[in-house]
Formats: sequence, structure tokens, C-alpha cells
Amino acid sequence: MNLGNQTLLDLYRLMVLTRAIDGAIGKEDGHWHGLEGEEATVAGTYHGLAPGDVVAPHYRGSLTAAIAKGADLRRLLAGVFGKATSYNRGRYRSDVCGPAEFGLIGLYSGALGPPLSYATGAALAFKLDAKPNVALAVFGDGTSSRGDCHEAMNLASSLKLPVVFVCQNNQVAISTLAKDRVAGQSVADRALGYGMPGLSVDGNDVLAVHGAVQDAVGRARQGGGPSLIEALTFRASGHFVSDRIETREVKEVAAWKARDPITAFRKRLLADGVATQTLLDGIAAEALRETEAAMAAAKADREPGADVLGANAVYA
Amino acid sequence: MPRQTFQEATVAAIAEEMRRDRNVFIMGEDIGPFGGPLKSCQGLWDEFGAEGRVIDTPISEGGFVGAGVGAAFAGKRPIVDLMFLEFLGLVVHQFGLDGGAMHYYSDGKAKIPLVLRAKYGVGPFHGHAYDLHSWLLNVPGVKVVAPSNAADAKGLMKAAIRDDNPVLFLEHMGLYHAGREDVPEGEHVVPLGKAEVKRPGRDVTLVASALMLKRALAAATALAKDGIEAEVVDLRTVVPLDKPTLLASVRKTGRLVVVGEAVKTGSSSNEVVAVVAEEAFAALKAPIARVAPPDVPVPFHGALEKAYLPDAETIARAARRAVTGMN
Repeated sequence: MNLGNQTLLDLYRLMVLTRAIDGAIGKEDGHWHGLEGEEATVAGTYHGLAPGDVVAPHYRGSLTAAIAKGADLRRLLAGVFGKATSYNRGRYRSDVCGPAEFGLIGLYSGALGPPLSYATGAALAFKLDAKPNVALAVFGDGTSSRGDCHEAMNLASSLKLPVVFVCQNNQVAISTLAKDRVAGQSVADRALGYGMPGLSVDGNDVLAVHGAVQDAVGRARQGGGPSLIEALTFRASGHFVSDRIETREVKEVAAWKARDPITAFRKRLLADGVATQTLLDGIAAEALRETEAAMAAAKADREPGADVLGANAVYA
Repeated sequence: MPRQTFQEATVAAIAEEMRRDRNVFIMGEDIGPFGGPLKSCQGLWDEFGAEGRVIDTPISEGGFVGAGVGAAFAGKRPIVDLMFLEFLGLVVHQFGLDGGAMHYYSDGKAKIPLVLRAKYGVGPFHGHAYDLHSWLLNVPGVKVVAPSNAADAKGLMKAAIRDDNPVLFLEHMGLYHAGREDVPEGEHVVPLGKAEVKRPGRDVTLVASALMLKRALAAATALAKDGIEAEVVDLRTVVPLDKPTLLASVRKTGRLVVVGEAVKTGSSSNEVVAVVAEEAFAALKAPIARVAPPDVPVPFHGALEKAYLPDAETIARAARRAVTGMN
């Protein structure tokens, strides 16, 4: 896939913005589920979707998905604190539930797996209405073990629905290592059993991820049915910020940190003459400034009043 | 006025709504050319199958109920045939916890207009009988409908399809093919959340739904011979409860017997009792009585089923005790 320079810079911006947000929330919330090291996978996956597309994101990257779909950073950050200015006015944490008005399906009840079938259902709606939209279902290596994963893929492929499954394989589910509990090791290989294309890509290479996802999205838009992409990456942080338990080898963590996806992409942009150091520094500094300003504003935003509880707002 | 069974009236409502609104479609296991277990979707394939609006799904209840939630999120009005209510445990997460919460958590931006059909009930089929709807009473955002007759089945199904929330639509197998009744043609919509006084009376209120409503009516006929005038209230919608109708009846009679098919502990009947105890305690002239199966799994043999399920006689006995204070 030949991407224009602007797309490359947009991908870079989304990666550095994702890291800036990760750092900013991590400072405020010890229970933030960080995604340092996974920026290439999330930016590559979520960049370039159309307005009517639906996304059921992995919780690591849900904010990036919302931003890629056009949501406002300040309101998203306000949602981390449950402020009245957030998209749902404090009724749910925005770090795992993006705004529905941007086509984001949240992890409302906290169980991993069901959102794969929600994305599949949205894809069914697109097919019934003959709309050119797609749905994205993004899940981790841990969730790949859920029966929901099997049910969604079997249903989607048997009905040839426009949904793209992306396994954001960061190789660990809280403390459980994928190499110990994902039988057969490859999630992408399962695609063969469902009769759909399956592809394994380097999840720390944003262009590899973006190219694979966009190919699959393009195929789905044209009626070619679902695909499964596995992006192999690494959770450089803990399960959440204040998680001090490490079940992985020290050497392995160090080796993956040395493969930092932002550093790698930056080198590539410089080597290919896409951008100068000054331009990339400027983009990163702007992302940081933008995040800090949004965070300051979000923190100062007002708390919801008891009226937001809305006992009469449960039913539509 | 055509005469239809509960099953025929339910399917007629679905077909009419599918003709009226192209966003309505139906999916489930074996609902295509097979017509659905117990003919739950008979004729729909012939009329709508070619349009792709009658979808046979693989055996994956969580997956296809979840797909219903997702399709509703994306603007469709899915009807999902769960086959049997016994499978509710496989879909509580998708239908209840997420489906019921999305409108609230999204601050009104998402709507989940989804009808979940489920057959259940002690009846001629000796299996798949569990009445588990009470599980959903503790899940905000969903509605539960339990029709007692063919005309209501039609009108409530039409209302459920037009409702913007997840609705569990209960289809009792003991009523399903049990004779034909007059069912209004065309635009016959029974609003959700409205109970109906099926028989007026001054001495005691009998509250029930579905098959138990039929038995409560039979009990009322027997009671009348003893000079006891029972008022029989058909809940029709279990969630949300029609409190005004319920409370008005209890304030009139001063006595309440609640009849249900779910086992006694944790049954939705208990919510009826709680509402009356909280809001109409002063009107009560006798202790509230519950008539329900014991806390045992639904048994198989007909004799055990008979011992398990309340009948007109057990209901009448509870009503007599409420009125006379004697067994």
C-alpha cells in the first residue's frame, strides 16, 4: 500500500498522541490500563475509518479509536474522571467506553468477548441495508480464548459480513502469558477454520498493521466478507499503572522496549525523507501540549449533579 | 375477526411488522425453511426469506443475541428467536447487562430495539419448561412481556417490536397451540406496561400472567360458586409493572394472591408483593399470599408436574384463606 506523506504523518501523530494520553492519564489514575508499546497496533488499526463505520475496540486503545473517529479529546479525558462535560455525563468511564455517537461500542458490562458479536451484528445491519460500511472488532490474546470469539467469527464468516477482527496480541492477559494459554500459538491461523483470510503482522510496525487492516476493510466494504488480523505487539507496561506484578522475563521486556514502535516509525520517516527531525519533534510537542491542555481543562470541568443519575433515563 | 392460536397470532404480528418496517428482521436457530421449533416462525421464510430478513443462525446463542444487540445499535429492529428460555443464561450478558445498559450509559445516544422471543412453561412438551424470566428483574433497562392469550400475544408482540428497548417476549408452550381465539385484524397494539382486569370482583385480587392467568380465571369461577368474588388481574407486562392497576385493585378488594410459574424464591411475583406491601399496606385486610411452584427443578413425569405447578384448586384455596382467614 502506497500511503501519501500526509497519511504517514497522521499515523505518527496518532501514535504520539496515544502515548501522550497514556502518560497523562497514568499520572492521574493508578488504575489506568496503559498501552505503552502498543501504539503502532492501535493507530494503524483505527486510522482511516469512515464516519458510519462501527468499532468495538480493545480497552487498550479505546481512546485512540474515539479520537480517530473524530471525538473531542477534552470530553474524552473528562470522561476518565466522569465529569459532567464528558460524552455520557459521568455515567460510565470513557477510557473503556467510547461515545456511541461516533459509532463506538463500549465495554459496558466489563466482560471481554461479547463486543465481538456486537460488531458482527453491526456488520449484519450494514449488509441488510446494503451500506458500504464496516465494523471493527478488536480484542486481545486473552479474549481470543472466549467462546464469544469463536461464535462471532463463525457467524460473521458464514453470513459473509463486513467485519474485520483484529487481535491486538500483546502476549499477556493480566498475568497469564499467551504462550502458556493460547493453544496453537497463532490466533491468525484460526481464520483457515472459519474460511476467511487470516494474516499475522508485526504489531510494532504501524505500516504493516495499517496496510493489513485497510486491505481487509476495503475487501469488506466491497462485499468480500470478514478477515482476521493478528498484530503481534507487547505490553511494555503493567496490566494497569500501579500493577507491580511482572510475570514476564526481564530480558524479554527489555528486548521489546528496545523495539519501541514510535522510535522505529520515527527512524523510518526520517530515513525515507518523509519528514525532518524538526517536523516530527513539532508534532510530538504539539500532541503533548494538546493533551496537557485538554487534561487541565477536563480536570477543571464540573462534576455531574445528582440529576444525571436519571432514574427515568434507563429506558429509551 | 380471524380465529388464531397463540402461535399463529404471534407470527401474524411479526409478519405485519416486517411488512410495515423494513428494519425489522428475525434470526435464530432453525427458523428458516424449517419454520422454527413448534412453528414459531411458520411462513416467514416464504414471505421474507428471499430478502435476507429471516436468518438461520448457527447454534451460538450468545453470538447471535449479541449480533442482535449490535444490529440494533446500528439502527435495525431485530427479533431474535432464542428457542427456549432455558438458554437465557447464555445470553444474559448480551441481552441484559449490555443491551439493557447501552441507552443509559451512552446518555441516550444508543438505542437497542430488540425483541428476544423465548418458549417455556410446563405444557404438552415435557421439557424446556423452566420459567427463568425473574432473573432479569435485577437488570435495569430490559422489559419482560408474558401474554396469556392469542389476542394479547399479537398486540404485545407488535408493541414489543415498536419499543426502543430490549424486550423479552415469553411464549408459553402450554398456551401455544391450545385452541383458537378471536384475534383483531391489522393495527392491534397492546401497550407495554399495561395490566388488564380480566374479571372484576370485590373480595380478593388474583394477580397472574400467561398460563397462570388462565388458571386464576378458573379459580375465580370456582370461588364465585362459594360467593367469593375474585378480581383477576392479568399483568401482561411483568417489567415494568403496571402499579396503578395493581394498587387500585388491591385498594378495592383489600386482599392479594399472587400466582406465578417461576419457583417461589426470587420470583417476579415477589416484586408484586413488595410493591403492594410498600404502597397499599393500609388497604390490606389479610396477609398477602403467594402461589408458586416449590424451589425444585422442573420435574418430568406428568404426576410430578401436576404436584409442581399451581392449579385452579391451589389458587382458589389460597384465595379462600385470604377471604375467610381459614384453610
